[in-house]
Amino acid sequence: MTTAYRHWEILERSQTGPFMDEDDFLPKHFTPTLKKLIKKYEIKYDPKNPCPTDDDMADRIWQAAWELFRDVGYYNTDSHRLIQVTDEEIREALYMAKDQYWVGGGKDAVLWKHRQIEDTAPPFCIMSPDITCDEQYHQSICMAYLKEPLLDGICGPILEKTFGHLIESSGPTEISGCIQHITNQKLAARLLGRPGTFMVAVGTAEHDSGQIAVSNDEWGVQKTDARLVGSLTEFKTADTLLNRSLHYAQYGCYTGNLTGAIYGGWCGGSEGTAVTTVAYSLIGLVIHGAIFNQHFPFHLNYGSNTTRELLWAISMAGQALARNSKLLHTSNGFANAGPMTEMLFRETAVHAMVSTVTGWHLWEMASTRNKYKNRATPLEARIGVEVGHAVARQGLSRAEVNDIAKRLLAKYEDDAADAPIGSEYHECYDVAKAVPTQEHYDMFRRIKDEIAEMGIEFPF
Amino acid sequence: MSLEELGKLVEDGETEEAQELAEKLLKDGTDPLKMIAEMTRTMARVGDLFAKLEIFLPEIMLAGEALSGVVEVMAPYLEAVGGRVVKGKIVIGVVKGDLHEIGKNIVKLILETNGFEVKDLGYNVDSLTFIKEAEAMGADFIGASSLMTTTIPRQKEIIELLKAKGIREQYKVVIGGAPTSQMWADQIGADLYCKDAKSAPELMSNLLNS
Repeated sequence: MTTAYRHWEILERSQTGPFMDEDDFLPKHFTPTLKKLIKKYEIKYDPKNPCPTDDDMADRIWQAAWELFRDVGYYNTDSHRLIQVTDEEIREALYMAKDQYWVGGGKDAVLWKHRQIEDTAPPFCIMSPDITCDEQYHQSICMAYLKEPLLDGICGPILEKTFGHLIESSGPTEISGCIQHITNQKLAARLLGRPGTFMVAVGTAEHDSGQIAVSNDEWGVQKTDARLVGSLTEFKTADTLLNRSLHYAQYGCYTGNLTGAIYGGWCGGSEGTAVTTVAYSLIGLVIHGAIFNQHFPFHLNYGSNTTRELLWAISMAGQALARNSKLLHTSNGFANAGPMTEMLFRETAVHAMVSTVTGWHLWEMASTRNKYKNRATPLEARIGVEVGHAVARQGLSRAEVNDIAKRLLAKYEDDAADAPIGSEYHECYDVAKAVPTQEHYDMFRRIKDEIAEMGIEFPF
Repeated sequence: MSLEELGKLVEDGETEEAQELAEKLLKDGTDPLKMIAEMTRTMARVGDLFAKLEIFLPEIMLAGEALSGVVEVMAPYLEAVGGRVVKGKIVIGVVKGDLHEIGKNIVKLILETNGFEVKDLGYNVDSLTFIKEAEAMGADFIGASSLMTTTIPRQKEIIELLKAKGIREQYKVVIGGAPTSQMWADQIGADLYCKDAKSAPELMSNLLNS
């Protein structure tokens, strides 16, 4: 059972809701409402503390997010109409939402539960390169991620080509690429002896037809897996996206809501980014019937979220969601630096510790600003989830994490704009065996030791 | 009442007040070319602030609106001194299958505020539509933006269609967007790759004048 909330009523509103010109929606409706709410609830960014301890502000952010969704609605760019919901409907959807779900199948199934701030239960860890790769490396990269012991779920790399043909959204190559993607991923899981591993798939699908093509319980995305439905920036949707959430619900798999509020864009600064991120969780639940929300707020210029403006937003959004709801939400890291660089390991560690202590689950790690093909590996995800487990089991407080995060930020923050792009997968992994090279592993170990010296007690 | 004050009103996005002041200054005999120069300086300053994210997208959009308002007021005065110099004409849009337009909107604004005439085709734009609109406008450039790896092939498709129609040399094709790169531009034969909005006006001017 999902929390799918009155799909047909929502879809009807996307055809019958109030008309608004798309050109007016963001500048005249969304941003002014958000600004008013930030002022009303006295939400203030504090650059000195990337991971603040502020329960009261967390609750105010929650309230602002609720009102943002209620007062702005959700805009369908195809019908030019606003989908609006009431307080009562939001309350009902939150009441009906479950705080835990079994995901994945058989012996590999995992119970995914809501986390609190400073929770000692480790985060649920989804690993994903979030990046495109060459066709020849796709199987190996899937294998390499699935070899990670702390992986609870996987979202595989995105194919650019299928059988040598460049994949074009909404065309036949996309259908083929999507089937190839899930086939590789499922085969990798079977070969590694964890065939029921929870998968969020398939990232190769940009168009709804690609997603629909892989719904198959025998060879494709199974009902124990999840799929994502995105938003258009900000608070906008389209029929191709609504098609997805309806199909996922009717097929019977889990739905995740994928959103990235843009710092510097229509949300403005850190305050607006935090409020918008929380509001997206309500949108995911009420509009799409999502069982989890996958958030990746990011910096407009850098395309990352490991600098302090974004860490603050992630931290406060996490606290707001953890304290005021029982929803599941993953924090998706976006780093500036590329694989086999010390900076990437530090960025991932900071993202993971700040997220974990503020109630998030983890989704690690989009490297190299999620821009360069083949530039992501499981090893940076490993340091993130190991940090997440350590922070939780150790019972670190927000203040303690804030202190460690600041020390690590000092080592990389000034390099954010000109971060090194590092190496490609095949340059720092043995492609045939899907394991890191010794040089790469040694760097991982060195930075892990550095973080341990700052007060993180790794379990192994 | 000075050009500097007008610049400040534009920077603050105060369209109506800026229009009123512009009208007054022009009636009092201010040289419209000097006003244009002040507006260019203002938008360069606003662009720099935005590039460093000391102001955010809504603020630069408001400044852009205020500038458009002032340019509207200036139009008859500029005509009298030979008209506003247009640095180039461009049709710009997000390619077919891609619904992400924030980057394209920023580029559009930066180009407009730097003296380019821009026709915005929106998002999810068919490749042939780019070409037909460029022909209709008499454009110098076709600007194609893409945010997804699975939609960047449409940038190549535009170039291939231009070749098929035998008009490739008539237009400079400019590409941009998160998954694009100089390497991709070289691979598909684009004339220009812009890694960010701020660099676009200068790179495009240089290309047109080369």
